[in-house]
Amino acid sequence: MIIQHAEKIASPETVQQGFETLNYICSDAIATAVYLACQLQKPILVEGPPGVGKTELAKKTAEYLSAPLIRMQCYEGLDEAKALYEWKYGKQLLYTQVLKDQLGDVLRGAKGLDESVARLHQFGDIFYSHEFLESRPLLEALQAEQGAILLVDEIDKADQEFEAFLLELLSDYQVSIPEIGTVKAVSKPIVFLTSNNTRELGDALKRRCLHLYIPFPEPALERRIISSQVPDIESDLRNQLVAFVEQLREMALKKVPAVSETIDWARALLLLNIEHLDKGWVEKTLNLLLKFQEDIELVTPELGKLLNAAHKAASRP
Amino acid sequence: MHQLLGDFIHALRQADIPISTAETLDAIRTAQLLGLEQRPQLKLALGLVLAKSEAHKHSYDIVFEHFFSAQTAMSHDTAVEADNSDSTVSVVEAGEAETVDESSVEAQALAEQLQSPLALQLMAGEGSQMASAIAEAGQSENVNQIQFFTQKGRYRYRIMQQLGVEALNQELLQLETQQSLPARQVLQQLEQRKLRLSEQVGDYVEQQYLLYAEQKNQRQFDQNLSQIKLSHIDTHHYQRMSRLVRKAAKQLASQHGRRRKQSKRGMLDVRKTIAANAAFDGIQFRTRWRATRIERPKVMAICDVSGSVSRMARFLLLFLYCLQDVLPKVRSFVFASNMGEVTQSFAKQDLEDALAEIMNEWANQPTDYGRALVDFSGLALDQIDRHTTVIMLGDARNNNAPAEAQVWEQVYRRSKRVLWLNPESRNSWNTGDSVMASYAPYCSQVEVCQSLRDLQRILGGLLKLN
Repeated sequence: MIIQHAEKIASPETVQQGFETLNYICSDAIATAVYLACQLQKPILVEGPPGVGKTELAKKTAEYLSAPLIRMQCYEGLDEAKALYEWKYGKQLLYTQVLKDQLGDVLRGAKGLDESVARLHQFGDIFYSHEFLESRPLLEALQAEQGAILLVDEIDKADQEFEAFLLELLSDYQVSIPEIGTVKAVSKPIVFLTSNNTRELGDALKRRCLHLYIPFPEPALERRIISSQVPDIESDLRNQLVAFVEQLREMALKKVPAVSETIDWARALLLLNIEHLDKGWVEKTLNLLLKFQEDIELVTPELGKLLNAAHKAASRP
Repeated sequence: MHQLLGDFIHALRQADIPISTAETLDAIRTAQLLGLEQRPQLKLALGLVLAKSEAHKHSYDIVFEHFFSAQTAMSHDTAVEADNSDSTVSVVEAGEAETVDESSVEAQALAEQLQSPLALQLMAGEGSQMASAIAEAGQSENVNQIQFFTQKGRYRYRIMQQLGVEALNQELLQLETQQSLPARQVLQQLEQRKLRLSEQVGDYVEQQYLLYAEQKNQRQFDQNLSQIKLSHIDTHHYQRMSRLVRKAAKQLASQHGRRRKQSKRGMLDVRKTIAANAAFDGIQFRTRWRATRIERPKVMAICDVSGSVSRMARFLLLFLYCLQDVLPKVRSFVFASNMGEVTQSFAKQDLEDALAEIMNEWANQPTDYGRALVDFSGLALDQIDRHTTVIMLGDARNNNAPAEAQVWEQVYRRSKRVLWLNPESRNSWNTGDSVMASYAPYCSQVEVCQSLRDLQRILGGLLKLN
């Protein structure tokens, strides 16, 4: 794509700092991935557990590069008509009705069917032209004049056929529409694909992308993330809750809390004016972190131990 | 740079990371963008381009460290050694300078007269030059094609030859014949440096072996392990085998995990189309298509854990455990004489605990197929319907007890399919107390299942069939 501010992607470090000013704290790997995606003009496939900021990455990139974000949420049964384009059937019908008289004029005097059809042919495929094309996210991204950020969210939820259909778009930045021909990107978009790994993606797709795996952040990074998202929080409390969540992630839970849940929890604790993690409050707010009753039942008896360890870990520098 | 990246990618491929040519080109462009100097950044960036899954990223990290640390270590080592040797030489020279000043001067003169290029190189003591010479010789001998550890000696020898050790040896022999002090000094130095050179070459070959061949050998080993008879596997390979079984089960899961959906292709289903369009006055608006729908089977698996199959039982149970992950509706049963359902204990416990518990509770009894089958009909017969596939893993060695084949017949009549996997080879069926013949008529399929590969093939077929 045409990047208006080339200096913004001069090096991975610049990207990292730029993201920081937008309140998105990212690791070196993420910054390098964005840098490479811009420089090499390649899509990024972002994988990782839910809630580590995969979608957010695309949004921030769009904000950072001041480009429009075009988002396509994938789901089972998604097909070309919903992802790429559709003909405006209603408009086509309406126009044929309105133009009925004109058509009559055109055809007046034509002898026989052959001549009528020949006359109609002179007008070309009026009803199958760009005016009647309803563009969906993928086509929109290709047609964006200034380039765009295309976010194909949760690609693993879409069918395998759709994945195969994406290949042409991802490698050549073009798609084929039978009635019109091949549509090439006006300016190549930067594509983010996210996946939660509910199924293994095809090798062909992976080969065309940079592969970025975002794991749960290190405690130090997570503390910085919390500070930037919830700036009013006391550093003591922040360290305690990061250490606490860190321990939860080690347990055999059905769904371990992600960064987004830690942030929610931090906001909740701030709202409740809690300065120090204690058992009572943690028990009451645990449902913000854990989304399954079984998990909550598993953690509750361990709370005392976990909190002690969290306090200890937090008091260490 | 191209050479370096090419070697690196070769090493990655050996470590089972599939890297296409397109990705290689990407890697080169990445390296051009970022340069090779900043190691951590390069590691991140190449990782994004080359390793495309979590498992691959893991092996990528290992290979990267291996490859680049070996690269730097080589040039570094030799540089340090060169420094050291220079200093020792100068110490020796300094120490002896007063007493045998003349001889050292003569020795120098003698050293300058050396003929063979290798000797000159060694005396010059240029560590980095030596390292690159070794690497060059290694390349011309194609050391990165190394396959087995037994080849290390051969490659070491050939690299030394390539470096011109022959001429050096000639020279050394010549020096030995001379009796003078300076000649002996030079001889000593040369021999020491030659030893160090051969050590360096040894290290180089070792490193190349680690990079290019170790993984290959492991893979070979895994392959052999999956073909070997399950009953012949050594205890100390259990760990490795469990890993392979899991891998096989996961492969099956990813191949068959998704139910194929009805799609708009194939033949028009006239009956359904007419029915669907009844509301439109018989005008055919909506088409309905015939499509084959592959459902995942409902499976009941029964596993013999008695003494006669004890060596296999572990793997069969292991596979049963993994099968429960693959197929959503698996019920697992084990027996020796009594039969019990273990679906729950598989679902709740992790593998090791579940296996230990099952072996403890059920295994220490004499085999009695008849009794077990009666138990089975009590436990599950009424839930077997025309969608159910029953899999039996056992050797049909019954300790001469009644076979109760009529129970098995009932199972066969009610179910969709009955599969008997026997861990013994066909020749030993129906010998001794084996009563395979009385059960075989009531099985849709009887298979020999001796190795992991058999198991994979049979179950793959099961999942594919409708």
